[in-house]
Amino acid sequence: MTSLKDLILAFCMWCNESYVGHTIRDSVWLFPFVEIFHLLALGVLGGCMLVLNMRLMGIGFRTDSVSDLARDLRPWIIGSIAVMLVSGFLLFSTEAVKMYGNWGFQVKMLFLVLSIVFTFTIHRRVTSHDGAAAGVRWTTALLSLAMWAMVGLGGRSLGYITTAASAVKP
Amino acid sequence: MSFDHFLHWLDATQFSAVMRESVWAEPIVETIHVLTLTLFLGFVLLLDLRLLDVVLRRKRVSEMFEQFNPWLFRGFAVMLVTGLLLFSADPVNFYSTLFFKLKMVMLVLAGVNVAFYHATIGKHIAEWDVAAVTPWKVKLCGVVSLVLWVGIVACGRGIAYALPPP
Repeated sequence: MTSLKDLILAFCMWCNESYVGHTIRDSVWLFPFVEIFHLLALGVLGGCMLVLNMRLMGIGFRTDSVSDLARDLRPWIIGSIAVMLVSGFLLFSTEAVKMYGNWGFQVKMLFLVLSIVFTFTIHRRVTSHDGAAAGVRWTTALLSLAMWAMVGLGGRSLGYITTAASAVKP
Repeated sequence: MSFDHFLHWLDATQFSAVMRESVWAEPIVETIHVLTLTLFLGFVLLLDLRLLDVVLRRKRVSEMFEQFNPWLFRGFAVMLVTGLLLFSADPVNFYSTLFFKLKMVMLVLAGVNVAFYHATIGKHIAEWDVAAVTPWKVKLCGVVSLVLWVGIVACGRGIAYALPPP
């Protein structure tokens, strides 16, 4: 029986051998070029999340209501997440099989899914009106910041974690 | 002492050796440098995009500066300190790359752009603060800043690839 693990590994191998994976891997400058977009989108997404969550906690930007700020920033949050996902996938495809065995990458993906789901469900609901209780606002903001921070820290860890080459023999 | 001497002197200090050889120093400092992009770069981009009338149009520009500036200063302080620490780990090789020199030039230009803004159109902010669209000179400062910061990020990334392998 094919387990989920095998499916994921097969997907990683396919990415590794895909045209995109090959092209970026074989080029000297494509990888850093894509990284620049990943970093710029990190700035926009992180900046928007900081502004919105600081407002949610009441520690800045108090001349705007939470819901106004959330509405104004939403397109930038969605747009930067899209750029992060596309550029992130391109970077991933160059070393997908290596990432399969990298526990930092697994942590990053876990928190990425959690962060995205949280952003578009609970976070969105709490920031769509202005009457949430202080406890709810603080909890939502801190959870949002902590989960996104884990995605970032997971990403930073990737280059430092050496994966056992023997773990995967394609 | 010439600048070249200074670089070699810094390179030979024990501090530089610790930054270079410690297992944790460089990853920790670089992680702080990269993740503070959210605070510093993110806020700079939002401010520039506001000058271009494309984000947070509800807020007056003066209000943007009031609320963003304190955080921008804090973010910049973190970027500066961590950046200097990363530089001190390998000063001679950093300086030997074109990307590092370009990044420094663009940082200075970004500062000049801010000074230019405050010495000219920023002085008369009361006249256009509540206007529906910002004057073209303000937009120009915003575009120049955006271009420079994108270039600074690109060069920062480039340095890592241009350094000789350890």
